[in-house]
Formats: sequence, C-alpha cells, structure tokens
Amino acid sequence: MTPFRELDPLLHSQLRLAIMSILISVDRADFTYLRDKTEATAGNLSVQLTKLKEGGYIEVSKSFGESYPQTMCRITTLGRTRFEEYVKSLEQYIKPEPPQ
Amino acid sequence: MENEEKLMTGEESLKVITAMINKSRVSLTQSSFHLLFWGWLIFACSLSEFLLWRLTDYATPWYVWFFVIPGVFISMTYGFVKGRKQHVFTYATGIYVWAWIAFLFSSVVFFIVHSDHMESVGKYMLLMAAMPTLISGIVLKFRPLIWGAVSFWVIALIAHFGGNIISGLAMPVAMITGYLIPGYLLRTKGSHDTI
Repeated sequence: MTPFRELDPLLHSQLRLAIMSILISVDRADFTYLRDKTEATAGNLSVQLTKLKEGGYIEVSKSFGESYPQTMCRITTLGRTRFEEYVKSLEQYIKPEPPQ
Repeated sequence: MENEEKLMTGEESLKVITAMINKSRVSLTQSSFHLLFWGWLIFACSLSEFLLWRLTDYATPWYVWFFVIPGVFISMTYGFVKGRKQHVFTYATGIYVWAWIAFLFSSVVFFIVHSDHMESVGKYMLLMAAMPTLISGIVLKFRPLIWGAVSFWVIALIAHFGGNIISGLAMPVAMITGYLIPGYLLRTKGSHDTI
C-alpha cells in the first residue's frame, strides 16, 4: 500500500503520532510515562517532543517532583485540532467516497 | 519505536493511535485508599456517637465528629503526595478529585448553616455524599460504588422515616454498603485493572 505523504507531516510519523495519541486521551503526562508507553529511547523521545512543541502541538512544562525534575506534556488546542483533522483524513483515505 | 520518520500506511497509523489510546489507562488502586479511610473513620465516629448516646449520659456525643477534621488533612496530604508522584493525569482523575472537593466544600457550608440542628445531619450528609460516590462509580466504571451511592439514598430515606434508633444506626450501616464493601472490592480489582 502507498504511504500517505499528503497527511500532516508533523503527525505522520510513528513516534510523534504515538505521543499525540497518548496526550489526546489524557489531561497531561510526563516524560517517563510517554517513554514507557511508546517504548522509545529517551533521546529519540526528547527530539520528537521538541518538534511537537515547536509546531505548537504540545506544551511542555518542567517542575521539580519527588526529588527529581519532571517534564510534563499537555496537548494544545492547535494540537487537538490537527490530530482530529489527521484522523478525518485517514478515514477518507481508508474509506474513500464512492465516485458520483 | 525505532524509526520516528518512518512513513506509515493508513492502517498502520490507525493501529498506532488505537494501541496508544488503549495503553493510556490508569490503575484504580489509589482510589480505594480514600474509600477505606473515610469508610472506617465515619463508621467509627457514627457508631461511637450512637453508643455514647444510647449507653452513657454524655451530653454532646456528636463531639466525636471532630475527628473528621484531622481526617481531612490526612486525606488531602495523601492525595497531594500521591499526586506529585503521578506520571499521568487523566480527565477521569480530574472529575473524580473535583467531585470530592465539591462535596468537602458543600459539607463545610452545610455544617455552618445547620450548626443548631446537629442531631439530624446524618441523612443530609448521606444525600450529599451519594452524588460524588455515584460520579466516582461512573468515572471508575465500578458498579459496586454506583450501588453504594444508591444505598446512601435508600438509607437516608429509612433514617428519615425509621425513628431515632434506626436513624442513629443509618450512618454506620451506610458506610459499610457505600464505602467499605466497594473500597475492599476496588482494592482487590485495582491491582490488575485500569480505567
């Protein structure tokens, strides 16, 4: 099957899509949680979080939790809108409308 | 996940989304602490009040309810410490926490406006407690807690029409049906279940 190059390039990558899928279903999640669920390496996850943050899709805040720094991530309104558009596009690709 | 730039087919994308949403679940274990803590505390206070009233000449048996004040601090401290250790916050967690904070505020206001009729507060407290209990049961998708809330409404009615002795025993019985039984069931279930 042909890969979909037309879809939002910021979301159409495996790890970034995984991060966004987690963040859309929770209020907020920290770096450790995202790393455990996506099974990504810390370096890779960090790079992808930065890309999503620069795109305005997520907010990242740092605090000092249980004697260790905690990086908390939350999806933004823009991120939520883009994710919903991405899912709609996917549905159209998978189930294209029959020709008139 | 190794290659973050790997292009995916539509099916692969949907598979990633579904897998991650299914993984984003939270253990139920923590919720049982508050149910058991409050279940036992209110059970002890209400039964002590009843026994003091029936078996002694003590003039103000309702003083036992002052034990609730340190209980609020213990419960809030536990929630705060656990919250700081938490790696994820779901929308369900927020609804659960705020339903109980709303109940706490309502209770404080209720005790202030009702301070001259302390002997009949039990049934009203059960009516108020039924709401966050029901919300928690729905949010946690945990049926025994929903039935616990229903038991609060039924016992409040029985307390109203049942006379002094039945009314005095209503609260300890309600704690067993509404908090303790669901709390122990939730603790057993929580170790291997998620929301």
